[in-house]
Amino acid sequence: MRPINMRREGVNVTQAKDVARDPSLGRQFSIQTDVVIVGSGAGGAVMAYELAKAGRKVLVLESGRYWPSAEFTENLGDTLTKVYRDQAAQANTTTDVLFLEGNCVGGSTVIGACVMQRPGDEVFQKWSDELGLKGLGPRELDKYFEQVEGWLHVHTNEAHEVNTTAHKVIQGCERMGFSWRPVQRNVKNCALTGHCLAGCPSDRKMSALVTHLPWAAAYGARIFSDTEVSRVLMRGGRATGVEAVIRDPDTGTVVSNVRVDAQVVVLAAGAIHTPLILQRSQAPDRGGNIGRNMAVQPFTQVLATFKEDLYGFQGALVGVEVDEFLKSDGFTFYSALAEPEQLMATGEQEAGDEHINFMKSFKRMAGLNAFAIDKGEGQVIWEGDHLNGRKVIKWSPSREDFERITRATSIAARIFFSAGAERVWLPTFQKMHADSVFDLDEKLARVDYGINGIYSYRMNSFTPHGTCRMGLDPYESVVSADGEVHGVSGLYVADASIFPTPVSSTPQWTVQVLSRYVADRILARAPSHFLS
Amino acid sequence: MAQNHDIPPALLGGFEPLSRRSLLRLTAVSGLALTTGCARMFGRRDAPEALTYVNMTEDEVRVVTRFTRAVLPTARHGLPDCIDEIPTIKNIDIMVGKMAPTQRELLALGLWVYEYRPMASFKFSRFSKLNDEKAHAYVVAMQEGAFFERGLTTTLKALVTLNYWRDSRTWQALDYWGPVTERWGVRRLGNAPLPMA
Repeated sequence: MRPINMRREGVNVTQAKDVARDPSLGRQFSIQTDVVIVGSGAGGAVMAYELAKAGRKVLVLESGRYWPSAEFTENLGDTLTKVYRDQAAQANTTTDVLFLEGNCVGGSTVIGACVMQRPGDEVFQKWSDELGLKGLGPRELDKYFEQVEGWLHVHTNEAHEVNTTAHKVIQGCERMGFSWRPVQRNVKNCALTGHCLAGCPSDRKMSALVTHLPWAAAYGARIFSDTEVSRVLMRGGRATGVEAVIRDPDTGTVVSNVRVDAQVVVLAAGAIHTPLILQRSQAPDRGGNIGRNMAVQPFTQVLATFKEDLYGFQGALVGVEVDEFLKSDGFTFYSALAEPEQLMATGEQEAGDEHINFMKSFKRMAGLNAFAIDKGEGQVIWEGDHLNGRKVIKWSPSREDFERITRATSIAARIFFSAGAERVWLPTFQKMHADSVFDLDEKLARVDYGINGIYSYRMNSFTPHGTCRMGLDPYESVVSADGEVHGVSGLYVADASIFPTPVSSTPQWTVQVLSRYVADRILARAPSHFLS
Repeated sequence: MAQNHDIPPALLGGFEPLSRRSLLRLTAVSGLALTTGCARMFGRRDAPEALTYVNMTEDEVRVVTRFTRAVLPTARHGLPDCIDEIPTIKNIDIMVGKMAPTQRELLALGLWVYEYRPMASFKFSRFSKLNDEKAHAYVVAMQEGAFFERGLTTTLKALVTLNYWRDSRTWQALDYWGPVTERWGVRRLGNAPLPMA
C-alpha cells in the first residue's frame, strides 16, 4: 500500500525559478512519464487526480504562474493584470469581445464565480441519442455529477448567501412574475467577501487549487508552472509526448526547453488553447474541425442604480438566477456585482464629471448578467509557425445573437425597474441609459447591429466551448466518443473543447464530469496505451 | 502734498555695494531659481516621472495623459489626483509592457488615431494640445461617433479608468470597502481533505 501524504496548504509546483536554480536541468532537458497533461484547470486537474490515483506517473504542465491562495490580494485590478490571461484583454479580432480566463495553476476555477450548473437531461439525451455518444447519456453521467457535487461542496445558496443585489433581482422577478431560484455554488463555508473574481484567499472556493491538484500531488503527480506547450509530438499515428518552453513569468525570457516523452498525452488547456496546440502540432483534421464550432455564451451585464444604498458588492458574488427564459429564449440571468474595476469591462461609463458621478453611485448599484446560448460559429486559429505564430479568435454576434441580447437586456432592465431602479445602464458601446421603463424600448431601438454587430453591445465570454467537439464521424468532429483525437492513438482532450453541441449552462461541472469520463476511458484502454 | 518716493537707506543696504556685473549675475541666478521653482510648481515636477515610462513613447504618453485628464476630472470631486497622486499612467505603462505584440500594435494605432483625428474638427489641433474642456468634448463626440470610434474610446476609457480605480486610495470616495478577509479575521481552510477511496 502506497503512503499518501497531502499538504495542508498549497501544492508542490515546480516553477521557472526552481528550474533556473537547478544546474542539473540546464537550458534543455527531457522528462519521461506515463501521462502528460497540458493544463491544470477544471479538466486537467480532474484528469491528473484520477490517473495518479490509478497508479500512473502523471506530469501536469501549466502555462500560467503558480499563485498560492495566500497571495491573493482581493484587489481585482491587480488580479486582472497578473492572474488573467493577457491581462484580461484576450479578445476577438475586432477587439470588442473579451475572452476572460485564468492563466495560473488551477486555471479558470481559481477566478470563476463558483456557479455550478448541471445542464438539463435533454442536452445529454441529445448527445446520446442523436449523436450516438452512448456514454454521455444522462443516466450514464449521473454518478460523475454526484461525485463532483459531493467532493466540491456544491450546494444551493442558503438565505445568508443571497445579497442585496440578488434581493433586488428577486423583488423585480416577483413583481414581473418571473421564475427565479438560488444558484448552486462550489463553496465550503463561504466567507461572503464578494471577491470571487480575484481568487479566494481563504480557500473556501473549491477550485482545483485546493481540491484535485493537491489530491493528485498526494498520489505523486508532478506539476510544472510557467511551462507553455508548443506542440504535441506524434510518430506513426501515435502521440509520443510534447515539446514545451519554460519562461520566467516576470520577464518572459526562456529558462529552459523541455521535451516530455509520454505514453498518453491529454490536452486540457481550455477551448481556446487546446485547438491551438493541435493546430501547431499539425494533428490530423479530416473535416477541418479543429478550432471551429466555438460557442462563447456571450455575456452582458445590465447595471441599475437605486435610490438607497445597497452595498451590493458585499456577500456571495452570485446569489440567484432567473431561469424563466432558459428554454424559451436561450438565456439565463445571474445576479452579481463585483469590485469597482469590473465596471470598466461591462458597459459604457461616461466621461468627465458624469463618469465620476457614475462611479460614486457604485454603492447604490445592482447588476444582472445575461448568459445567452449562441450557435457555435466562432473559430480559433493559430497563424504562423509553432514557435512564433499568433492566436486569432474569431467571433462576432450573428443577427440572431444580437436580437437575443437585445431581448435579454430589455428583460433585465424591466426586472430592475420593477424593483424600483432610478436608472438602468445599458451594456452598449454607446453612451446609453434609461430612466424609466417608458423610454427603454426607444433607447434599445437606437442600438444598431451595423456591420456584424461589431461594437454594438458590450459582450464578454467566460465560457467558450466546442472547438474540438466529440463525435463518431471524423469528418464532423475532432475527438472520438472516448475523447481521443481521431487518427492519433494516445492523444486525448479533456476540457470544454469537446462539448459536442453548444450549451446554455455554465460549463465547469460538465467539464469536470467529462474529464472524469475520459479518464475512465483511458484507464479502460490501459493495456493498449501503457507498457507497464 | 508731494509724496516722498525716496526709499529708506536701510532697505537698500544690501544693494548699494553691487556693481552692474554683480547685479546682472544676481538677476540671472534669481531668474534661474525662480524658473526652476515655478517649473516644479506648474508641471515640470512630472518630468522625472515621465522619464520612467519605458513602454510607451513620449507621444503616446502625451495622448494618454490628455485622455486621463479629460475622463477623470478628479480635482473637481475631491478625489486623489489621477496622475500626480495615483500612478494611472505608470500603471498603464506597465500593462503596455506586458501586452502581446498584436495588442501593442493596435494600441499604438489607436493612440495615433486619437491624437490626429481632431485635426479635422478642432482647427488643426492635436488631441494632446486641446484644453480640458475641448478634450472632454472630443471624447464624448468620439463615444457617439462611428462604430470604430466608439470602440476605440471605450477601450481607452477601460484602460485608463481601470488603472485609476484599482488603487485603494480611490475607494473611500465610493464607499467601497476593498479587501476584507484579513480585516475580518477570516481563517484560511487550506486544502480540501482527500476523498475517501
